[in-house]
Amino acid sequence: MASIISCPHCGARPREEFTIQGAVLPRPASDAGTKAWMDYVYLRDNPRGCHREYWHHTSGCRRWLVITRDTVSHEVETCHDAALAKETEARP
Amino acid sequence: MSEFRIALRPALGSAVKPAPRGVAMTAMPEGHVVQVLGSPQGPDLSKMLLGKNAGASPHAVRSAGPGQWFIVGDTPLSHSEFTTIATGLKPHAAAVDQSHGRVRIRLEGAMVERTLAKGTAVDLDLRMFPVGNSTTTLLGHISVHLTRVDVAAFEIMVLRGFAESLWENLVRMNVEFA
Repeated sequence: MASIISCPHCGARPREEFTIQGAVLPRPASDAGTKAWMDYVYLRDNPRGCHREYWHHTSGCRRWLVITRDTVSHEVETCHDAALAKETEARP
Repeated sequence: MSEFRIALRPALGSAVKPAPRGVAMTAMPEGHVVQVLGSPQGPDLSKMLLGKNAGASPHAVRSAGPGQWFIVGDTPLSHSEFTTIATGLKPHAAAVDQSHGRVRIRLEGAMVERTLAKGTAVDLDLRMFPVGNSTTTLLGHISVHLTRVDVAAFEIMVLRGFAESLWENLVRMNVEFA
């Protein structure tokens, strides 16, 4: 787990202030069918290296963030507000 | 109709102020706390809020994340005063009266940063966190809104139910300097 996350609104904070939600995945269309939805809800890769995740700054600004994290070194590369940056993917 | 009248008692009424050398702790008057909820994408309302609502108290308008502010003061707001604030904010933001829900504690003294550093990871260096700056963070396990109101003074705003617990934590953090 990353230990320090630089929130774009609050600055560097320990990960105890955040809640992790999981990988950033493209949301299927509402009529995409059972298989697509089963994959979206339950199937996850376990990547080694860079990984995009949703984190919630629960004890800070309470914004949803998109974080690019290296799963090997735990380094956080980028961190931005999910809604303000107009992420195309919807929140899971 | 209930037999019992609901009486509002101070959240920190029973709390005892410790004898301090390094940090003085004060339970602030339970005046008013108005939460302002705007749009994160919307305009910065802090200047507009300052003009109308700050009154005489410095740093009465505090940022609380994108599109959110707190207006605080030592005197209770009447219904009409609150309505004036709420109406003045339309259509940019909504106002929520939190006066009954949040309690303020003032910490002052030479060791105030070292006391707070035991509970929060916010960089409280004066250059990084100047007077008037505020942020939401964790103090121990309790979520608080922290404001630097003077060079060596902070105000901590906390949900009412956590106030006594936080006070006890702060007393313990202060023991070293007491």
